[in-house]
Amino acid sequence: MSATDTGAPTTGPILMELDPKAWETQLDRVEAWLNAVVTTQTAFRKLVEDTLPGVEKPNLHLYLSEILDTARRHEQAAGDLFRHIGRQPGTGRQAMGVLMGKAHEVVADLEGLAGGAAGPWRDLRQMVIANMDAMGAFAVAEQLGLALGIHGLRDAAFPVVMEKSTQHLVLQELMLEMASMAILYREKL
Amino acid sequence: MQNGVVRVSQSAIRNLPTPVRSRVDPADVVVPDGYTVEALVVGLSFPTALCFSDDGTLFFAEGGSTWPTRPYMPPRIWKMAPGGLPELVAVEQLGGPRGLAWRDGKLYVSIKGGYYMRVARHDLKTGDREVVIDKVPSGGWHEPGGPLFGPHDGLMYFGQGSVGLNGTVMPAGYTVDLAKHPHVHDVPGQDVKLSGNNVWGRDPRTPYPYYVQTGPFRPFGTPARKGEVVKGQTFCNTCVMRARPDGRDPELLAWGIRNPFGLAFSPEGELYASDNDFEEKGDRAIAEDPDRIWHIRNARQPHGSVGTPDWYGYPDLCADGLPVWDDSHVPQRGAPPTPLLEEHPPWAGPAAYLFEPHTGLGKLDFCASDAFGHKGELFVCQFGTYAPLNSPRPEHLRRGFQVVRVDLKAKRHVPFMHNRHQGPASAAAGNGGLERPVDCRFSPDGKSLYVLDFGNNTASDSYVVAYAHTGVLWRITKQ
Repeated sequence: MSATDTGAPTTGPILMELDPKAWETQLDRVEAWLNAVVTTQTAFRKLVEDTLPGVEKPNLHLYLSEILDTARRHEQAAGDLFRHIGRQPGTGRQAMGVLMGKAHEVVADLEGLAGGAAGPWRDLRQMVIANMDAMGAFAVAEQLGLALGIHGLRDAAFPVVMEKSTQHLVLQELMLEMASMAILYREKL
Repeated sequence: MQNGVVRVSQSAIRNLPTPVRSRVDPADVVVPDGYTVEALVVGLSFPTALCFSDDGTLFFAEGGSTWPTRPYMPPRIWKMAPGGLPELVAVEQLGGPRGLAWRDGKLYVSIKGGYYMRVARHDLKTGDREVVIDKVPSGGWHEPGGPLFGPHDGLMYFGQGSVGLNGTVMPAGYTVDLAKHPHVHDVPGQDVKLSGNNVWGRDPRTPYPYYVQTGPFRPFGTPARKGEVVKGQTFCNTCVMRARPDGRDPELLAWGIRNPFGLAFSPEGELYASDNDFEEKGDRAIAEDPDRIWHIRNARQPHGSVGTPDWYGYPDLCADGLPVWDDSHVPQRGAPPTPLLEEHPPWAGPAAYLFEPHTGLGKLDFCASDAFGHKGELFVCQFGTYAPLNSPRPEHLRRGFQVVRVDLKAKRHVPFMHNRHQGPASAAAGNGGLERPVDCRFSPDGKSLYVLDFGNNTASDSYVVAYAHTGVLWRITKQ
């Protein structure tokens, strides 16, 4: 390898977007997204947590309790994603997620009232949307791991997407199953 | 200088920031005595194609959306003058570049994406881009082939692989086809009468995973009827075609080739196509189909004179000429196949060369120079298997991941560029060698072979992942 006066080599291999400056720029962008993952997952967890006490039917309570346990674990997993890019989770993202969760509840209330539905079914419906949002956020983190050759990030995000995908079916089925009871019979869950 | 494109020391590529491929080291790549290996460019995202202009300028392409289709990375075309740094030439759309060719001062690019494969022509002096070939049915499982130009006739040759996985569109890889192209289907190159056999599968698009039947040359969920005739089209898939460089006078030479990804003319002017075997999975599983090189004999016929294209076997024959339902192709997993065609056109085989199943053939080039050695032999990229995804057989797990040279006349091949262990570099901890060779091309001076390495692309039992920024351009030179 030879070098110019500036020290830059004039022969040798060429790096594409892997030099420290380019790389750090990309990691900054990934970090910003991982903050979004934390926010969306926290919002989902908060929604489940707030809904659960109002659910009276034992079978539904059981389903949602399991989902809440998983949601807490996934929230922890969201925070752990940062270490795969050598960064720390940002502060305040969970607080924002809690606020988002409450904002979702307001939206759910309005939409639920419009549908005439009663009780926590409105929140159940909102959970479907919030879980989809958080699942998408993890899936995007997986894609960013693939895009930057960071298999740890991909390997950490993918199982969460798998698990959330399975639970999404549960939430969707519960929401659809109970829709007639909530809307036509004004029954609480 | 392009942002993010920098020249570095040799030691820098042994300590890369991409954890999945943190080391690239020519010392880990094995080539015959008397040859040297260099890593020229490191950190490419899903590179798929390379070519040279007459003055020795190298062009290479990053594939955008590839295998699998996500993540989508910039589908860029680069040029690199001898001793220079890569400069961005163009960014394609809707998927990405798959093949490159230089002709009379213009760069031709085959592009996958959407329902149709295209060939675009770039005038690098004016910056103009025009699409010269359009409407070749695509949008599914397999890839465009070419373009390349006939040394004897100056015509542009190109191809397109099957949309269906193993004879029909199937749910196995729905992110590749069904999710984005729910209406996609194969198109035959000549009229075919269907057997009425269909393939049962679960529909991944629907709220309930409906059980549906799908026929050949039909969209997913549309069954075929016994005796039904599907009209052949010039713009079909599983095809090799040719046209004038501006796209006029297209002519179909061959069809029934599952994935004619690599096209190359021999020094004698004969056209050959690489092709990938059927997969041992899913709702029409086929075992032990050899990977193969086809001789496209119709390329020798005068332009415009090919009335009936040759047929090479898809969807009903394996490369050994046996039907897919033959005892030797019964799958260990998945549903065994039944005939899809009522009658078969005459078979254009046998293959010019058969490899073991699941070596995953990429592109190829003939050596035309004594300077490099092995003049007249065919150098073939073996991209490497997707087992265990595509085959349950343990013996398939490490096949490919190398460049081989083939003596077509003597019917033998030997590895030319490979790792010290079988399989990709990522199969051995800390190895900086070859991952998946996808394209290779001899330099115009005939002294060097350039090999494009797609990068880390790992298959599991259920899916495959690809990591961007892990591709490498290698150069092998005779000392």
